[in-house]
Amino acid sequence: MRPLMLQGHSRAITQIKYNREGDLIFSAAKDASPCLWYSHNGERLGTFDGHNGTVWCIDIDWKTQQFLSGGGDMTIRLWDCETGKELNQLDRDSPVRTSLFSYSGNMVVYSTDAAMSKPCEIFLADVRDPDQLGESVTRITVEGPKVTALLWGPLDHTLITGHESGKLTQWDLRTNKIITTVEDHQATINDMQASKDGTMFITASKDHTSKLFDMDTLECLKTYKTERPVNSGCISPNLEHVCLGGGQEAMEVTTTATSQGKFEARFFHLVFEEEFARVKGHFGPINSLGFHPGGTQYASGAEDGYLRVHNFDQSYFDYKYDFYM
Amino acid sequence: MAKKKDSVDHGSTEGVKNGGDVDPDFSDPEGYVDDITDEELCGDLLRKKPRETDGVESIIVVDGLPVVGEDRLDKLKGVLRKIFGKFGNISSEYFAPGDIEGVTAAQASGNPLPTTYMFIEYENSAAALEAVKTMDSYKFDKSHTLLVNLFTDFDKYENIPENWVTPQPQPYKDPGNLWYHLLEPDSFDQYLILKIGVSKGGTAANDLLVMLNASPEPTEVLNRAGGTETIAKWSPSGTYLASFHGKGVAIWGGKDFEKINRYAHPHAELIDFSPNERYLVTFAPRAERMYDNSEVLIIWEIRTGAKKRTFSEIYKSPWPVIKWSHDDKYFAKMGPDTISVYETPSFRLQDNRSVKIAGVRDFSWSPSDNILAYWVAEDKDVPARVTLLEIPSRNEIRAKNLFNVAECRMHWQKSGDFLCVKVDRYSKVKKEKHDTKYSGLYYNFEIFHMREKQIPVDSVEIKEPIIAFAWEPIGSKFTIIHGEQNNVNTSFYGVKKGDTPTLLKKFERKRFNALFWAPQGQFIVLALLKSAEGPLEFIDTSDFTIMSTLMPEMTTDVEWDPTGRFVSACVSAWSGKVSDTGFTLLNFQGRVLRKERIDRFGNLFWRPRPPCLLSNAQIKDIKKNLKKYSPQFETKDRLRLSKASKEMLQKRQDILDAWSDYRRKKEDDYSQQKKQRMLLRNNVDTDELDSDKSQMHEETIDVLIREDIVPIEE
Repeated sequence: MRPLMLQGHSRAITQIKYNREGDLIFSAAKDASPCLWYSHNGERLGTFDGHNGTVWCIDIDWKTQQFLSGGGDMTIRLWDCETGKELNQLDRDSPVRTSLFSYSGNMVVYSTDAAMSKPCEIFLADVRDPDQLGESVTRITVEGPKVTALLWGPLDHTLITGHESGKLTQWDLRTNKIITTVEDHQATINDMQASKDGTMFITASKDHTSKLFDMDTLECLKTYKTERPVNSGCISPNLEHVCLGGGQEAMEVTTTATSQGKFEARFFHLVFEEEFARVKGHFGPINSLGFHPGGTQYASGAEDGYLRVHNFDQSYFDYKYDFYM
Repeated sequence: MAKKKDSVDHGSTEGVKNGGDVDPDFSDPEGYVDDITDEELCGDLLRKKPRETDGVESIIVVDGLPVVGEDRLDKLKGVLRKIFGKFGNISSEYFAPGDIEGVTAAQASGNPLPTTYMFIEYENSAAALEAVKTMDSYKFDKSHTLLVNLFTDFDKYENIPENWVTPQPQPYKDPGNLWYHLLEPDSFDQYLILKIGVSKGGTAANDLLVMLNASPEPTEVLNRAGGTETIAKWSPSGTYLASFHGKGVAIWGGKDFEKINRYAHPHAELIDFSPNERYLVTFAPRAERMYDNSEVLIIWEIRTGAKKRTFSEIYKSPWPVIKWSHDDKYFAKMGPDTISVYETPSFRLQDNRSVKIAGVRDFSWSPSDNILAYWVAEDKDVPARVTLLEIPSRNEIRAKNLFNVAECRMHWQKSGDFLCVKVDRYSKVKKEKHDTKYSGLYYNFEIFHMREKQIPVDSVEIKEPIIAFAWEPIGSKFTIIHGEQNNVNTSFYGVKKGDTPTLLKKFERKRFNALFWAPQGQFIVLALLKSAEGPLEFIDTSDFTIMSTLMPEMTTDVEWDPTGRFVSACVSAWSGKVSDTGFTLLNFQGRVLRKERIDRFGNLFWRPRPPCLLSNAQIKDIKKNLKKYSPQFETKDRLRLSKASKEMLQKRQDILDAWSDYRRKKEDDYSQQKKQRMLLRNNVDTDELDSDKSQMHEETIDVLIREDIVPIEE
């Protein structure tokens, strides 16, 4: 089936996310307005207007009531999903790089860049009352390389951060201490996404690999190798597949032909670490990928400013790996 | 004492003469004991005092000279002066006359002729040293070989310390079977992968990896991190693998790539094996600047590790400076207006003299015969000339004059059947101070038919610039890539006995810049190297069908395996590429067999094989009955493939089992946490999309979809 091309952003896409039910897609780009789309036909419902610069990170709570965004204008903003109205905004000293709702939706966590002689910090706030966004429950100053990706651990007890150096850190939120640090990656962690049940997560790194980790122990379970930086990776909710996106770095794109850039979305078998399919289409590196919660489609947002939503054909579901004797 | 007194006396008389003044008294006081030694007074002068042994280092002894009568003595001395005068000015000489009666007696009785000797003193010791090095065991005439020694050697060998012991003979080290790799039952070939290492502490260290090109998966034979500092090289028959290190060159071989030998030559940058792997040439251009006694070029015997000959300076010419004849019997090097041919194993100048050729520009050996081809540049009215010289007789077996020549290039066919000289000719020439500028260039290919009587020469003229040229290694075709930037053509010519070369096929307007013949001929790969999206084309030249055309993103090197079954197309990191380096393995038809991406991939070198032991007739016979042999190999391949796929399935099953165990544990944990999860989300079950029916609202959306069915035409 032909993919849906969602055209609405004027600049490179930075992050896309499905809501829990999968009927909506949220997208953020280097233009200032995150967009909201229907996933089944690609129609745009509206935009969240207010940011004054690149929006780096977005998230939706599990009830699809609140929408969270942070960006290069050094603000973190909380929005009402239904109306698109801004509920609260907070100025920070440096750009907001990552932001997430907790499993319960009661808490948010976000991190800021180490920039302009300000350190990288992680903030936690209770947003049951949006006015409390500014009252940080916890504030952790991160020493060393800055946080570039973020995840909540099971039952909101822990936090996992991916860093610019490639290391992963697990934080205990009751004591704000580091539990574990692993250094399986050699370069920036661009993205981390949890599996459907939250027991595992997949990383995407500039070191050309993507790895699967155990959420509790940070044990590296699988490695998926490519020959380009990986910008985003996601795990299929119903099949043993992972999808990776990336390609040549944005700054080198103009100097090479599209075929050399390797801008395809690449499908690997979760267990065997083998690539079995590629989906072409983008003419810039994919920056963010998301599986539909039902596993029936996936969406990709790329440096070229487009969102592509692909519904899987029957042949995708019929395809079986032969490993039986 | 006497001296001092004398001077004092002298002083006093002088004083008196000058009148009046009373000079101070210099005489020793009473009872003075002179305890000052001469060493203290004028040590510096004494040290300079000439000694009897001074200059001994500049003296050589020449033994083994013929004894001649009075009448011929002057002539003999004249000859010797000329020979030995080459190394420096002779300051004195002494010739022992010898026993002339003894000669007649010896001639009468048949005893060996008596010999005599002479001393020669040079102005400096360097000249003496050089004379000994070059002239020792010089063949003076048929029955006289000169023995030349330094005079100081006598001293050296007379004063051998008493406790000197004869060196113990070293036990013979068995290097094992150096051709172990040829015992591989399926005749899989090996290839070497060089990975560019990250330099540690200033010295670069590159990794070496030897793989066996087995089916269906290659297997690792050797993995040596930091195995060489620069690059690595196989010997011509693949027996040895040479690696470069700061102190010199090492060679490895046998089953486990043990060290076979090493050759200490600091900063050796280039090496060259002789064709039969008997000798190794190492070249360290930096040695000239770094050490006083510079050994820029060293020729080693591979098995013993002995230095056979060294050269301290070499004439500027492209590597290899030393060119070997096909049988290792001779090697030659070019100097200004000379070609020096040396013999092995004596490592002396063949016939004691170099071949004088005024204006020689380049030379090369025939790959199958001891024939040397060289060309001489044009000089005013004298035309340029290509000459074939037979060694050791030095007979000119063929020469051809050429006019308006800017440059020549000699290409031997691998079997030595033909020599092609590519001649760049000009129609106009402009001479500036130091440069000569040629314009209106056109190109001639002079084909020498080596196997025919009198060696007839044919020529092919092409007006366009030449990009590449190559002979079919076995066969009689040659290929030329020629043309301008946007109009590049590839022409195939065939050479027949007693006939001018005929154009067999021309592929027009196809941009290639390199061509690679299969080692057995017939198949050829045309490539556009070092360019983005450069094509690779596989052609069967028996009927000129294009078997396959590929468009890889980039190719920097192409190499055939020694059997002509496989081709490697590489993207090397030496070219400056950072990503996508690695190689593609293709079969001879251009079908991609495997692609490998390797970070910091430098080179791939196939391990060469020794020449085939089968006779031409046997090879022909096999080719004829190929149908008889091929089924057994096909079954073998199939068997291997099915075995491998079985193994792979087993491996996958194991991985899957381990994974399922892990997941089961995790899923247990997960279901135990269900209560806590529900608590976090207001007791709503969100584990599955439809797990909480109370939260589900059915909504029907009508979407208009038009369906078009368009058959896609091929």
